[in-house]
Amino acid sequence: MSEAVNDVVNHDVSAPGGPAGSEGDPDAPDAPKKGIEVPVGDPTVLVNHLSVHYRVPSSERARGAQSRAARMLARFGWSRTVTVKAVRDVTFVARAGESIGVVGHNGSGKSTLLRVIAGLETPTAGTVLASATPSFLGVNAALLPEMSGMANVRLGLLAMGMTPARVKDTIPEVLELAGLGSSIHLPMKTYSSGMGARLRFAISAAARPEILLIDEALATGDAATKQRSEAKMADIRKQAGTVFLVSHAAQTIEEMCTRAIWLHEGEMVLDGPAYETARAYRWWAWNVAKGEHRKAEGLLEDARAQLRATHVAAHDSTTQRYIARHRHI
Amino acid sequence: MSRETTRLRSPLVEIDDINLESVDVSRLQPVGQRPPLGVYVRSLWDRRHFIVADSRARAFSGNRDTLLGNAWLVGRPILDGAAYFIIFGVLLGTSRGVDNFIGFLLVGVFMFSFTSRCLTGGAGVMSSGKNLIRAFSFPRAAIPIAMVLRETISMLPVIATMLVMVVAIPPHASITWRWALFPLVFLLQVMFNAGLVFYAARITSAIPDLRMVLGFVSRFWLYGSGVMFSLERFITHPTVLEVIQFNPAYCVLELSRDLLVYGQTPELTLWLTLGAWAVATPVLGFLYFWQAEEDYGRE
Repeated sequence: MSEAVNDVVNHDVSAPGGPAGSEGDPDAPDAPKKGIEVPVGDPTVLVNHLSVHYRVPSSERARGAQSRAARMLARFGWSRTVTVKAVRDVTFVARAGESIGVVGHNGSGKSTLLRVIAGLETPTAGTVLASATPSFLGVNAALLPEMSGMANVRLGLLAMGMTPARVKDTIPEVLELAGLGSSIHLPMKTYSSGMGARLRFAISAAARPEILLIDEALATGDAATKQRSEAKMADIRKQAGTVFLVSHAAQTIEEMCTRAIWLHEGEMVLDGPAYETARAYRWWAWNVAKGEHRKAEGLLEDARAQLRATHVAAHDSTTQRYIARHRHI
Repeated sequence: MSRETTRLRSPLVEIDDINLESVDVSRLQPVGQRPPLGVYVRSLWDRRHFIVADSRARAFSGNRDTLLGNAWLVGRPILDGAAYFIIFGVLLGTSRGVDNFIGFLLVGVFMFSFTSRCLTGGAGVMSSGKNLIRAFSFPRAAIPIAMVLRETISMLPVIATMLVMVVAIPPHASITWRWALFPLVFLLQVMFNAGLVFYAARITSAIPDLRMVLGFVSRFWLYGSGVMFSLERFITHPTVLEVIQFNPAYCVLELSRDLLVYGQTPELTLWLTLGAWAVATPVLGFLYFWQAEEDYGRE
């Protein structure tokens, strides 16, 4: 039962999620697939000291009651609700051209972070500023479940403010990207969640939103569809857009993003290039899965040590000089 | 440009490097912040095609699970009318002293069903539109407006049925020039209902429990509007009667009955009261709805 022995074993086998370099030679001899690089521009999303806490009912006794007062109240039968810190003091700046993956275990606050950026949830503390209203692709599948995929495409495009003439021109592009074939004429409630996600991505991407937030979508689909989606995302980023991608499958992040944020229990552990960050996360997750908790803890500490705290110095160019006002328009 | 990410040697240098991000916030806004009213109204106008498409989508899904489908739009008020006729007309005898009770009842039930459907529909409209609200950014008022549009369009065959029945069922109402004024009453009712939907949509999305309360309000309102009996016969207290005259649904029913069933020119006060409601309710309702624009997608 000694952990040392297990450690040695781990070094011998080639771990699937091992970070390149530190654990011998990487398993892929050819260059690994990475996200498409696009020139990075102005800030599009500023997340500053963001925290989201939930008060949720719990059947477990006083687990989340950290403070003395809470423990006291728990004694009087108030322990029904506990505070879950879904996101803790997260700060980062996203820029045009970036595609940012958010990785982390289930319940690490990935989806919450994305929903706050989308404006669907109110943060407990901190601010989220954005250059445009973000488009959010959540996990729920259908838009109007009773209606055909085609009708949903039309409705979605109109909702984003397109004219009927432009909708007509855009529909073929959406259909190609969604790659649903004749299923497009079936009611959307008959779609699998992957099909629904693909369709909604195709609809949202057609309007080329400045900020696109994708929660656990796009992991499905054949290679060709995946490639088309990625090209579309790169397209959006080239036009001064930013894409956020949440997935617990770190490989998706590794392959499709240029930057990644690793969240652990709501805390930002690492923020850096997608490949390295996602690899570090996978190596940690692999150790957790193998029951190597001490090693995983060490890896988490290493990652934390690498994280450089972001400090945001906000300034407003419109108030400094008259000329600056026209710069961004 | 303003994107130099400077590495500073801070006092904290022993602990960590600090990633100093210099951000120009002039282009950035808090997420989900509602736009000013003028911009809002303009973007709502830009979404007019979406409103029409959404109202059609609702028409599609409304009665789809039933065998008779949209025939229930007419079938429901007919059954309601029959039930009220048996209970109030035959058993309780409230029809005594009311000329052409069937015409009276038909107009009451059919016209009131429009307002009550808008009220209860408005109560659920934001939650049923949640998928769209979360997926796309558009002025949220498009959703209740689409609902009112949908209810208005589906009201047209209902009104046609009502007119046919009023004329066909003895004692037949005669068609007079006053029928030409009826579309105006309907228009005022549509405007009032739109305001009602704005209010119902916002309060029920803030407090879902009020959906139950609204069902109760709707029923209370039904009895307070003289749908199936003449209020003048039962209410003897003059102040109460005066208060009842301010009830917009009562005004709609009285005006419609005078024009369609009794061939009378209605009193001016009824027109003015309903007109005031029809202007004030949608304007105030729209403002009230717009004030919570950020909250509709939230959970």
